[in-house]
Amino acid sequence: MSTAIPLIKPMRAVGGFFAVALDTFRLMFVPPFAWRELLLQGWFVARVSLLPTVMLAIPFTVLNVFTLNLLLLEFGAADFSGTTAALAAVTQIGPLVTVLVVAGAGSTAMCADLGARTIREELDAMRVLGINPIQALVVPRVLAATFVAFLLSSVVTLVGLFGAFLFSVYGQHVTPGAFLAGLTLLTGPSEVVIALTKAALFGLAASLIACYKGISVGGGPTGVGNAVNETVVFSFIALFVINLLVTAVGVKATT
Amino acid sequence: MTASSPRLPRLNKRARSWADGWNRIGNQTRFYGTTLRSIGDAFIHYKTEIARILAEMSLGTGALAVIGGTIVIVGLLTLSAGALVAVQGYNSLAGIGTEALTGFISAYINVRLIAPVVAGIGLAATIGAGATAQIGAMRISEEIDALEVMGVRSIAYLASTRVIAGLVVVMPLYCIAVTMSFLAARVGTTVVYGQSTGVYDHYFRTFLQPVDLIWSFVQALTMAFVVMLVHTFYGYTASGGPAGVGEAVGRAVRTSLVVTVFVTLMMSLAIYGQNSHFNLSG
Repeated sequence: MSTAIPLIKPMRAVGGFFAVALDTFRLMFVPPFAWRELLLQGWFVARVSLLPTVMLAIPFTVLNVFTLNLLLLEFGAADFSGTTAALAAVTQIGPLVTVLVVAGAGSTAMCADLGARTIREELDAMRVLGINPIQALVVPRVLAATFVAFLLSSVVTLVGLFGAFLFSVYGQHVTPGAFLAGLTLLTGPSEVVIALTKAALFGLAASLIACYKGISVGGGPTGVGNAVNETVVFSFIALFVINLLVTAVGVKATT
Repeated sequence: MTASSPRLPRLNKRARSWADGWNRIGNQTRFYGTTLRSIGDAFIHYKTEIARILAEMSLGTGALAVIGGTIVIVGLLTLSAGALVAVQGYNSLAGIGTEALTGFISAYINVRLIAPVVAGIGLAATIGAGATAQIGAMRISEEIDALEVMGVRSIAYLASTRVIAGLVVVMPLYCIAVTMSFLAARVGTTVVYGQSTGVYDHYFRTFLQPVDLIWSFVQALTMAFVVMLVHTFYGYTASGGPAGVGEAVGRAVRTSLVVTVFVTLMMSLAIYGQNSHFNLSG
């Protein structure tokens, strides 16, 4: 019995997470739908994410372009720097930066908010009033984060490409025309669709983890802090794994 | 009880938010200065606390310890990032018929780009966010004030010890991270995509530069240092109840992500310059 206890706890957490996720998906289509909460949450996530997104996207792509351009200059193929910049920005950096920001900025705040409500027993009060907290709080948050992640990824890609262009042309003396011409060489509509799908999936996973961690908080202020910490860790792990899987599937599907 | 209305409300508000911003920067700078200055104090007076935090950081607490702690999490992150190099690198190179060079991509991109950035992200998420949560909870329950009353130097005791511990923990952690990213790229390329191990190893060994590895180690150390400073600051200044702790963690993660990438970029520019040191084209 004593050996089984350490195993039971994580299994119960996984089970609880899937239960919340299933409830969320089912209740998405059950009226009444919390429109007001959806709009508020969407606006909130977009507001806290926009500035860090831009701040993160530019150095990320510049770092990438800098490293890859060194290589291309060595080959004497600097004209293709646009190609690598586009491939990296659209397929990897766009979704990844989005997700780091949505998980780091949006879902931590969500988890903190829900966790504080759980501790103050507001969720129990809602249940007593006959309101399902998952329908009223979790569903709009998950949908809002998914939608905003979807939109943010295109901002990241555009800002990143712009930064890459400036850095390549003015910093590493790549011909601007060649940079622009190379953009679409390897990156087509299918890559863009995969990138947007990835971003939406990331937003979904991060917000589900945040909401589950938020509504299952226990143990006072320390509990909320720990829950937020775990949210960050688990969502980053989930995102890296999802990224790997979707990239592998996407590469197979497009070639 | 009427609030005194200033004559120029909008201007006043803007000036105040501007002054607040400046004050925040000043406070942060002062906190970082104190933390750095107290590192000596921490070494002299709080050795046991450093040892305790070291153990806690490397193994993690609560639910994180169950899945293996910081080391497993950072290993997992770099493992999947290294596998990504295999997937994306192999397929992009196969497009122009040079998939034999995947080993070279692994030796180049993993060392210079993936391992430092991903390790930095992992550090911020695990050790950093954990520190913010802990210190924040202490601040909310007024334990930090209690420490001060007891005559314990709270910044040395809470922040400096964590900075030291972070610097120590990151060393084995980064070694694991780099190894994992190499391993994942190799397994992905040779086992999943079926490239012969001889080809992969040949290009990998030819282009792996030990000096680059050492530089990326320095990058990781710098990042750990900055991440711990940022996270302890946000924890130390948390306010506003349980939700405040959570928000502080979120803000700290956001800031340290930006700082991490920025540090990597600046150090890459400074270290590698305009030369890749590969001499491929002879």
